[in-house]
Formats: sequence, structure tokens, C-alpha cells
Amino acid sequence: MKNICETERSKLHRLGRFQLPNKYKNVGWAIIVSAFTLMIAKKFVDEPTWVKPVLRNVMILGFLMVSISKEKIEDELMGSLRATSYRLALIIGVLYALVQPYVTYAIESLIDPDNAAIDNGYFQVLLYILLIQIMFFHILKRSS
Amino acid sequence: MKNNLKVQRAIKDLTQEDLAKLLGVSRQTINSIEKNRYVPSTVLALKLSKVFGISVNDIFELEVGE
Repeated sequence: MKNICETERSKLHRLGRFQLPNKYKNVGWAIIVSAFTLMIAKKFVDEPTWVKPVLRNVMILGFLMVSISKEKIEDELMGSLRATSYRLALIIGVLYALVQPYVTYAIESLIDPDNAAIDNGYFQVLLYILLIQIMFFHILKRSS
Repeated sequence: MKNNLKVQRAIKDLTQEDLAKLLGVSRQTINSIEKNRYVPSTVLALKLSKVFGISVNDIFELEVGE
């Protein structure tokens, strides 16, 4: 049993430390710029409706690649800064996602009160991210 | 926590870049430690101690209240 726990802990730590090599940072930026350029170009051409969501997802994938790619010298300071930036991103992202629908609603109410509505589209992803974070924190805490 | 890394580096006539290469970290990391913006891990502190041939306590010192 102890060995199983040890193996799981080791797997989690390895997963938590997973990073792409530094060259993927440039690949990520290239994907972001390409997707953005295509999104702009798409406005002048008639494209099927599925193109926009696909390009958005490709762009997010590019940002993810940039986010998890190593620096040229990936040392402990970079690891510490990365952890801090993820923590800030989580907190600011959640607060933004909570406030943004109400700001949009307030603006829409002023412009077009009949069609104003609060969009809770972020609920699922926010709940998922926070539950995963809390779950991993407790697993790592118990196994440390 | 304060440190005298800059002094130790000067004694050994090492630039930040030289020390960074010896330790396998970035120059930015050495600069951040010297400016007291970053507290290194035990592993890095021990590596520094090895490079300078002195104990960790001779490089790093706790400040009042820590």
C-alpha cells in the first residue's frame, strides 16, 4: 500500500513538473499569430460557422504551449515565478470571470434593455478548474 | 534573509554570469539572490557554499524577526 501511494505521489509530481522544451515557445507564438491573422482575414471572406471556434481553440492551444514551455535556462527561480504567475492567473481569472458578465449586463441594459441578460458561460470551467486545484492540493498535501 | 553573495563573488573574482554557469542557473537568479528578492533552495545554497568553500551560514544570515 505504501509503495502504491509512493508511486502515485511520484507520478503526480512528475506530471506537475511536465514542461515542453524551450523551442515550443516559439511554435506556440507562431500558432497564436497565425490563428489571430486567420481570424482577422476571416472577416473579409465567407467561411463556415465552425471556423471561428476552431481558430479560437487553436489560439488557446498556442497560449498553452507558450505557458508550459521551458525558459532557455529553466532553474528554480523560473519555477518559483511560474508558480506565482499561475496562482495570480487563477485568482485574477476567476474574479474577472465573476465580474465580467455583470459589467456586460450593465452596459447591455443601458444600450438595449430588452435583450440584456447575464451570461453564466464561465460557470462550468471555473468550477472545474477550482475543484481540480483543490483536489490536487489535498492529494499532494496528504502525500507530502 | 540577507546575504553577502556579492562580496563572496568579488573575493573569488567571479561575475554573475560566471557564477551562474558554475551553478547551472541563470544570471537573473544570481542577481535576484544578491538583491534579496529571491531566497534560494537548500540545494542551491549548498551549491553556493561548495563553490565558495565556506559554510551556508557564512553566506546567508537571518534578519531580526525571521
